[in-house]
Amino acid sequence: MMKEQNTIKSATDPGGKKKSIPQEPASQGIWSGTISFSLVAIPVRLVKSVEPGRVSFHLLHNRDYSPLERKMFCPEEEKIVPPDEIVRGYEIQPGKHILVTGEELESVSPDRSRTIEITEFIDIREVDPIYYDHPYFLVPLKGGEKSYSLLVESMRRTNKAGLAKFVLDEREYVVLIVSRDNALAMSTLHYSDEILPMALVAAEASDEEINIVKKSIKAMMTDFAPEKYSNNRRQKLLDIVNKKVKKKSEVKAPEVEEEEKAEGMADLMTALEKSMRTVKKNGPIKHGKN
Amino acid sequence: MPSTLWIGNIHFGALIVPVKLHTAVSQNRVQFHLLHKTDRVKLRQQMICKFDKTPVPAEEQVKGFQVDERKYVLMDPEELEQAEPESSRTIDVHEFVKTGGIDPVFIERIYYLEPDAEAKSYGALAASLKDLDALAVCTWVMRKRAYFGAISSTGKALRLNVLRYTDEIVQAQSLGLESFELSEKEVSIGSELINKLTVKFQPEKYVNEHQKKLWEMIEKKAHGQKITPLTPKHLKPTMPGKLLEALEKSLNRAA
Amino acid sequence: MVKINERELTLTNLDKDLYPSFGFTKARVLEYYGAIARFMLPFLKDRALTLKRYPQGVENDFFFEKRCPKFRPDWLETAEVPYGDEKKITYCMANNVETLIWVANLASIELHVPLATADFPNNPDSVVFDLDPGEGADVLDCARVALMVKDLFLGLKLESFVKTSGKKGLHVFVPLDPKRTVFEDTKKFSRAVAEIMQKNYPNLVTAKMNKELRTNKVFINWSQNDPSKTMVCVYSLRAMEAPSVSFPFSWKELDKAAKTKNPDKFRVLASEAAALTGKNEDFYKEMLDMKQRLPNT
Repeated sequence: MMKEQNTIKSATDPGGKKKSIPQEPASQGIWSGTISFSLVAIPVRLVKSVEPGRVSFHLLHNRDYSPLERKMFCPEEEKIVPPDEIVRGYEIQPGKHILVTGEELESVSPDRSRTIEITEFIDIREVDPIYYDHPYFLVPLKGGEKSYSLLVESMRRTNKAGLAKFVLDEREYVVLIVSRDNALAMSTLHYSDEILPMALVAAEASDEEINIVKKSIKAMMTDFAPEKYSNNRRQKLLDIVNKKVKKKSEVKAPEVEEEEKAEGMADLMTALEKSMRTVKKNGPIKHGKN
Repeated sequence: MPSTLWIGNIHFGALIVPVKLHTAVSQNRVQFHLLHKTDRVKLRQQMICKFDKTPVPAEEQVKGFQVDERKYVLMDPEELEQAEPESSRTIDVHEFVKTGGIDPVFIERIYYLEPDAEAKSYGALAASLKDLDALAVCTWVMRKRAYFGAISSTGKALRLNVLRYTDEIVQAQSLGLESFELSEKEVSIGSELINKLTVKFQPEKYVNEHQKKLWEMIEKKAHGQKITPLTPKHLKPTMPGKLLEALEKSLNRAA
Repeated sequence: MVKINERELTLTNLDKDLYPSFGFTKARVLEYYGAIARFMLPFLKDRALTLKRYPQGVENDFFFEKRCPKFRPDWLETAEVPYGDEKKITYCMANNVETLIWVANLASIELHVPLATADFPNNPDSVVFDLDPGEGADVLDCARVALMVKDLFLGLKLESFVKTSGKKGLHVFVPLDPKRTVFEDTKKFSRAVAEIMQKNYPNLVTAKMNKELRTNKVFINWSQNDPSKTMVCVYSLRAMEAPSVSFPFSWKELDKAAKTKNPDKFRVLASEAAALTGKNEDFYKEMLDMKQRLPNT
């Protein structure tokens, strides 16, 4: 499992060109808002701190090699359902749902959907690693660079981390904000009632047994160098892919007309058509603000 | 105790410690379903061909690796299997490191380890790691996937920390942040403020209020009550010129 | 050699007539940009600048220059922005009047900017409707289309702003909150608008790029909503026969001009621009502070 130097950082095709696969840029819209501590407010945006390393495949139709996409399907009417016909609901009884809109969800914790308010600081060494959930970075938005640097430097100097509550999508998280490599890193934490109790193991080994083990451990102590470990599967898969590309055994997917009524286009068209009808009926509207 | 996810054997030197893996975290969230607006029927996911817009059954699906726009290399199941690591029950320990040496950002998830069968070697490992303040860096294969991680000890119990590979972690340098000129006064007030606001870490204090409120809202709606959506709170950002002032005011408030 | 804001600039070839048919020297170009600077700078601020240089005047060859010239003064602000699939290019940013003058001195008669600022090049702060008259159509037809889309937007609770291109067409902008906007959405939106206008006014509007299909119609060029595309900046000169300017109109003024049925009412020359901006600049600048959101985003 231990590999030498060749950790693959990004995939390349045999031509050596960097692959330009349409990928969600890491720094795009997960969330943006303000982080604050006491009376200092810093405009920031949330970016991913972890990039999945797994090689991902697309599912294709074996007849025309067109990529497949997930769509929602109504088993009752047996048809694909466009986004404007999809609603979210909570099942209070089997078959009975309460509908909830995105706006209502965001309004449940209005204080927390656009702000991360640090209310207290702690010594990071007191945090059991079991609490850590998902890591992110916070990047300052225009105008916030100075306050951001101040928070980073002050936390670094005092060696403390900030605790806050934060709502992302429909979930509330406790987050830990730390200063790392001159940046603000944020990690969501698990709630203590989500940590399962561990049955205490009454395993007693003799001192002699313990000493033998300790001796082995001491002999194998070293510094942590994670770069030594890499994901072999990715390289193996890329090798297979490269061989096939060399043999020119690629398939081509058919061109799809871009005007798919997908992802909110239906909603948009409805709104536009409504507005269009009014324009045609009423003639020119008063000139708005300017 | 939740059900056992996997059974393995920790190996290093002559020591073998048989263990059972359990999840350590259980999240209970409000689950929403996606419904059809017209008949409130629960929707299911289907794979649709982008080209002919029809549903595609599993037998007609193949896996492809994208090499360029609209160009794929087909992967057949045998080839994919070839790339899979060999099955094994061994958790290979390669080396040991000091506990402080692993930044929490490396930790992807944590499993509890329970001794499987004879517990003495387990106890010896747990006590040793605790005494030496060390972690066992290891690799293993679970469900056809290769993992890299570290075994830690709480004294009596062992945990398996699954670690991320280095190239999966975004480096702060790549964010392109510039360091800003700060005055010593600003930093020292900032530091004083932080210290004044420092408390002991008490995770039990934090309760998921959003969940509670979500339940309340759902209940209200179930009883036919109207919900008035509130507007999210937006804080006014502190302008760089006003930073010192804000810091001083904050410090006064905290005193 | 002049000094602007404590910075020294060497201005060259001031007598060169850059608009020979009309008579407008480089000195006049610099003078124009100096006078218009305070109105124009907010629209250039923090944007990667593309220069369109006519070193031998508007009747001769021009070239686009994206890479900020290496011989630039060290006080000139730049930004590194990715260009297509390539690595990042260093662009000039006209964040002050001295930079604007320096750039104009390079005979960059026209100044073009992207729809997003350089720090977040994938997040536009507006969606643009580039109304371009085909063969046989003119700015009056564009005005008709502009007034209709303005109403269409009001129906969606969106405010919009209009300016002349300085050539034959009009540009309509809907200002947006860049923090909540990406080009994918603006492109989709502008395309949807173009297509619905084409559907309802097939004799007046086309959404298709094809030149043959544009005869007598106004083309709504929705594809301009892209991180790699630029639009001529408001108040920029255009390299036409006469020094016309890409100039903002209020909707009331546009309506009035359209009713005269005289296309010349839409033409604003450099000399007029300087005089007119005293009255009008406030309303157009409002665009920069508006943080609207596209429907369904």
